Formats: sequence, C-alpha cells, structure tokens
Amino acid sequence: MENAYAQALMRMMSRGMNPKDAVAALHTLLVRLGRESLLPKIGRAFGRLAEREGGRTGITLTVARHKDTHAAQHAIKDILSKMKTDTDEVVVRTDDSLIGGWRLEGRERLIDASFKKYLLSLYNRATQS
Amino acid sequence: MHNSIVEKIIKEIEHFAPSRESEHVGRVTSVGDGVVAIDGLSGAVMSEIILFEEDKGKKLTDAMKDRGELYGLVLNLEEDGVRATILGDTSRVSEGMTVKSTGRILSVPSGDELLGRVVNALGEPIDGRGPFKKTTMMPVERQASGVIDRRSVSVPLQTGIKAIDSMIPIGRGQRELIIGDRSIGKTTVAIDTIINQRNEPEERRPICIYVAIGQKESKTARIVEQLRRERALEYTIVVDAPASAPAALQFLAPFSGVAIGEYFMDAGRDVLIVYDDLSKQAVAYRELSLLLRRPPGREAYPGDIFYLHSRLLERAARLSEAKGGGSITALPIIETQDGDVSAYIPTNVISITDGQIFLIAELFNKGVRPAIDVGISVSRVGSSAQTKAMKSVAGGLKLELAQFRELEAFMQFAQDLDKATADRIESGRRMVEVLKQKNGAPLPVEMQVAVLYAAGHKFFADVPANKVTAVEAQLVEYLDGQNAKILTEIRRSGTLSDDSKKGLEKVLEEFRLAHPESFTNKI
Repeated sequence: MENAYAQALMRMMSRGMNPKDAVAALHTLLVRLGRESLLPKIGRAFGRLAEREGGRTGITLTVARHKDTHAAQHAIKDILSKMKTDTDEVVVRTDDSLIGGWRLEGRERLIDASFKKYLLSLYNRATQS
Repeated sequence: MHNSIVEKIIKEIEHFAPSRESEHVGRVTSVGDGVVAIDGLSGAVMSEIILFEEDKGKKLTDAMKDRGELYGLVLNLEEDGVRATILGDTSRVSEGMTVKSTGRILSVPSGDELLGRVVNALGEPIDGRGPFKKTTMMPVERQASGVIDRRSVSVPLQTGIKAIDSMIPIGRGQRELIIGDRSIGKTTVAIDTIINQRNEPEERRPICIYVAIGQKESKTARIVEQLRRERALEYTIVVDAPASAPAALQFLAPFSGVAIGEYFMDAGRDVLIVYDDLSKQAVAYRELSLLLRRPPGREAYPGDIFYLHSRLLERAARLSEAKGGGSITALPIIETQDGDVSAYIPTNVISITDGQIFLIAELFNKGVRPAIDVGISVSRVGSSAQTKAMKSVAGGLKLELAQFRELEAFMQFAQDLDKATADRIESGRRMVEVLKQKNGAPLPVEMQVAVLYAAGHKFFADVPANKVTAVEAQLVEYLDGQNAKILTEIRRSGTLSDDSKKGLEKVLEEFRLAHPESFTNKI
C-alpha cells in the first residue's frame, strides 16, 4: 500500500507539482481516510523510490586509480555529449579490480572499457577455443 | 602453457583497443525462489536472454574462477522494470547486481550431433560426452506452422503396440495424448513406441525426442539405459529437466524439445516427440507464475495455461511438400489423480490433442498390459494413416471388445448364459489375451497383422485362455523364423492380399499340427 502512495507522490512531483503541496495533499487524504499512520512508511518507500530513480538517471564513472580520472573523463566526453550530460554530473568512483581503463554506467547503459573486461574475455576465448 | 596459446595472447594484447560498445543494462532489486526483479532494462523483450554480471568488483583472478556465465529469461515486462527467471544457480545472483540485455531470444542447439545424447532444457549436454561441435541454434519460442504449410495426416506412425496400432492408430504429424493415473504404464507406451522405430527402414525412421519433465533422475537414467540396450538411443535425443531442476527449466524443457525437433522437421525428416509429462510442466509453470505475481485462476493455474499447452502442441505438424514434407508427431503424457479426467489440465490437453489413449488402473491391476481402455480411447485423424492390411484385420475389433466389456460386467450377475453370449465372452477373453504385450517388446506391424488375422479367424478359440499369450509368442517366433516371406510381402505392400491370406492360413494350420498340445480347449 505504502509503495502505491509513494509512487503517486513521485508522479505528482514529476508532473510539476510543488513537493510541499504534494505532501500536504497526501496528508489531507490520509487524514480523511483515517490512514495517517501510513505516513512514515510512505516516507521510507518514497526514499527507496527516489534512490532507485537516482540510480536510474545518475551516471557513474569508475576508474581503476584516482589518477586515471582525468584521462577517463576526457575519453567519455563524446559519450556524455550524446547523453546530453555534463562531466560535472558524473559521479566518479575508484575500483582497483578494473586494473586499468574505465567503466561508465547509468541510464540503463553500460560502457565497459576496463582492462579487466578485456583480459577476462581474452582468457575466456583462449580457454574455450 | 602451449606456445600457440601464448602467441595468440601476445597478438591479442598487441592489438588491444578497449571496447566502447554500449550495453543495455538493469539492476537486480530483489531475488528469491528463482525469480529476480530487475529495475531498468526498459528495452527488453519477452523471452529475451539476459546476462548477470557476476564479476563486478571481483579481482581478475577471482572472476576467472567463475563457473561459466549465468543467464536469465525475461518473463514479465512491467512498468518500472522486468521480472525474470534464473536459468541456473539462484545463489549466484545478489541484489544490486548488474544485468545485461543480450538481444537474443532463448534458443537451443540442434543437429545430427545431438542424436544419442542427453541434454538439459537449455540444450547443453549433460551426459559427460563433451560439448557439441557443429549445431544450428533454434528458437525455443516459434510460431507454429500455418494452414497453408500443412497437409493432412496420412502416413502411419507404428507404435508396435497391437492395441494401439489396430484400434487407436497414430499418424505422422498427429498429437495423441497418453493419459492415466501414476504407475500404470504411460511412459512404457511411449518408450515402446520409440523402440519400435528401429523396425522402420532408416530413410523413413523418425528422429525420436524424449522430454523428461520433473522426473526422477533414476527413472530417466533407466530409460536412457533401456534405449541404449535396445539400440534406440542412436536415433533418440533425451531432453532432461529433472524434479531437482528449477521450475523455469521444467517449464522450458518441452519447448526446447520441440525446437530441437523443428530443425529435423524443417530438413524434411519425421520426428516423434514424447512429453513426459505435461502435468508436471503445468505445475512448474504455475509455480513460476505465482512467483511472478501473475493472477491465479482455476486450481491456481495462471490464465494462459491453456495457451501454454496449445502453442506447444500446435507445433506438431505434417508439413506440405513445398515445406519439405517433414513432420513432428507429439505424444504428450498427462498424469491424472484417481482416474479424474475432468480436472483442469487433462480436459485442456484432451481438447487440444487429436485423440487420447486412456490407461486405467483397473485393467492394469487385472494384468491387462498395456492397460488401455479401448472403449474411451480415440484417434481422431489416425485412421486415415492406417495401412489397408491393418484395417482389414482390425475392423470389428473395437466393437467386439466393447461388447465383451459390457457382457463381462453383466456376467457378474447372470449365471445361465445362452451359447451365443458365452461364445462372445470367450472370444473377447481371448482377444484381450492376444492384445496383451510385454514391456519393451513392440511388434512390427506385419507381425501384428498376422497375429490379429489369426485371432480374427478363431485360431486361439481352442487354446485355453491362460495359455493364449504363450501360444501367441510361439506363433510369432514361428512366423518370424520360417515364414518371413509372407511378412515381408505384407510390410512391402501394406495390404493383405489373397495370396498372403492363403499363405497365413497355411502357416497357421502347420503351426496347429506342430503344436497339438496347445489346442486342448473345448468350448
């Protein structure tokens, strides 16, 4: 139930409604229905939804070492312009398991230009053939 | 490491260029009971294969130790994401895992290389005889052949079982249901049919596919061994989705089996496919549907349970000459509970198929095996595929047996019977004995014709009822050994000519004279 209310809230806001007004409207409705106690649960569900939405719209660049960031950001410039996104909006993370290269993930897209992926596919090709 | 491999690796590294290929991905939000909810993958299509990315965050050396790639199958397209089933070990999937779209619809390998092999529902070999080298990928879900591409059933598919070939004949391209309670010989009928195909000349012999769904591994192993022993495995493919396999694989197995069969059908070959059994597939599909939160209907089955079976069985067909003339004959098996054929799944499959062979526990317990109730068993299209020879000897058989069953019931109350009734009962009793057949001993069609001709001409009338089976076995041996010429002629022409009839009568008389001790009964 709380998920449905949270989704409705999200939809109201995505359609341009002021967040304060949306929450107030929801509160009024819940009071009228005698379901005010649902509010904290709806809040938590909304938090989960917002996090998921952020994961869906946000973009993460993963590099093997921090010092590779600049080169990676330069390499993804074209890709980001196609995605209509600025370099500033990209969250940068470090994962040394990548060995080298970079990995860009977000908006349901993944571009893996890491050395690990290359070496792994090379290993699989060599052992399977 | 071998020098050539090292050289290959060096060459590859020299030409290293990181891939910038964009992949369509989603993220696992929940996982449980073999079903995953995935956020994203908005471009995914139904029945698409997805790949779970297990090596994210793992060191290269750990990633290299992974046990092959883990795939899933998209089954629900929802507003915010998709729900998919895991085609493998569920414990390998975790929340937050990235899932990649492959753009591929589930397909299985098929080809001559699969003959004699045991594969799982994904077409991967599981018999320890190594991977396949050259196969063709066939889509698991495919639209059944249309009206224009089909032609009517006219070529017989011999089961080698007298009761079936004479009274419930099956044609190539037909769908004949085998239905009955547990442990009364349903699988035996199907396996005997597969074994009997060895009697067919190689160029006309159908490729056989046995799909085991939710069966015990021990049972499937026994069947494979029996097929090997009877030299039937060489033209058979076994698709195994045992009871221990995830529900998704049990639901997929029949579709994989028919996809493998379609490769041969498209190549103009005949195929016989046995689904053992579709009740268990329905249960697996129910489990999967409930986990996917699809609304339950009657007996908690989902609303599309009929479509599940109809789209599977519609893929059995006999193609027109323009399409190569191949065929798929389907023998689905349904297990009933306490003989209840009016349950949901049995009635569905009865209405889809072109006839059904009912096996009943009462006959089985009386020792009548195969325990086929010919009164309620039918074949809607098979009679047009029956050979003239068989038609000529089996014409009145069904009626005679039906009358016998009625009189037999009546006899329980009446003590004094007139001679005509007593004769009919005795004759029926002998016919029942003649139609009995041992497990794993299918008879070639010409032999069946000869035996039924003998039975129809009161050959067994003087044989005590309890000795009919033994005398019949002797007669079969006698016919096979010394009079093979008559049998060859019946097989070749497909008819019972006057010469053949005369020959048979002569042989029967000779047999009677040679074995007077067997003909001691006086009615």
